[in-house]
Amino acid sequence: MINLKRKKPRPMIPMSSMSDIGFLLLIFIMLISLINQRHEVKIEYSEAKKLEKTSDSHNLEIWIERNGVVTIDGVIVDAKTLEGIVAESVAQNPDARVHVIADRNTPWKYVNSVTGVLQLLQHRVVSFVVKEAP
Amino acid sequence: MIKRFMKRKPDDPGDSGSLNDLSFLLIVFFIVIAGFNVNKGFLVNLPEKNKPRVVQTNDLMRCELGPTGEITIDGKVTSLEAASTTIGAMAKSKPNMTLLLVIDPETRYQRVIDVIHEIRTHDIENFSFRMEEADK
Repeated sequence: MINLKRKKPRPMIPMSSMSDIGFLLLIFIMLISLINQRHEVKIEYSEAKKLEKTSDSHNLEIWIERNGVVTIDGVIVDAKTLEGIVAESVAQNPDARVHVIADRNTPWKYVNSVTGVLQLLQHRVVSFVVKEAP
Repeated sequence: MIKRFMKRKPDDPGDSGSLNDLSFLLIVFFIVIAGFNVNKGFLVNLPEKNKPRVVQTNDLMRCELGPTGEITIDGKVTSLEAASTTIGAMAKSKPNMTLLLVIDPETRYQRVIDVIHEIRTHDIENFSFRMEEADK
């Protein structure tokens, strides 16, 4: 005997919605990428073979170009402003780690001027950021 | 024969595993993004300003970095490799050794990093640096 009773159709997700999900994912990824955006300055990194991870939960990056231009978050700063920014960051997060990212050809006097500001603020630890040598 | 005319049951997309693929891609993406912003380098303790530390002269090793990157230890100009060997030998014989790096204002940052790298390789804890201009 043939069962002619109509079965209730099973619930299903239309496959066409997959493209919508894909698009949403794409938008989400783009937004996340914008949040994680880092103001990089075009420098030639110093290199070393044996490195340690220096990033912390709160980081402040100070970029130094070979001509001595100091940049924080894409903004060029002078020594006075740098002092203010570092003091403010440390006041907000006492555990904030300061990273010095300098061009490999930067004369030491420019790096020293930055570390001098940190010393003035009694900031004890600084991270000299370098790239791993190939 | 009857089976032929019966509609085929649509597949459940949940079973296809495409959602698993998507979530896996998402995880990979986050791992990659997290790896982008990690800084690597050297953590250096900054010496206190205008607060000289008393160190026994026997335990002190003075290393000078010239404007062109030449390394001078105890008045002798030496290569980086030779300097590394000297520092390593001294660190072994004097565990309380303090290394003072005096850097010329014109010395390139890469050269300073090279020396710091050698110092770190020998696990020297007491390490201080200053710019030569302060001496003059």
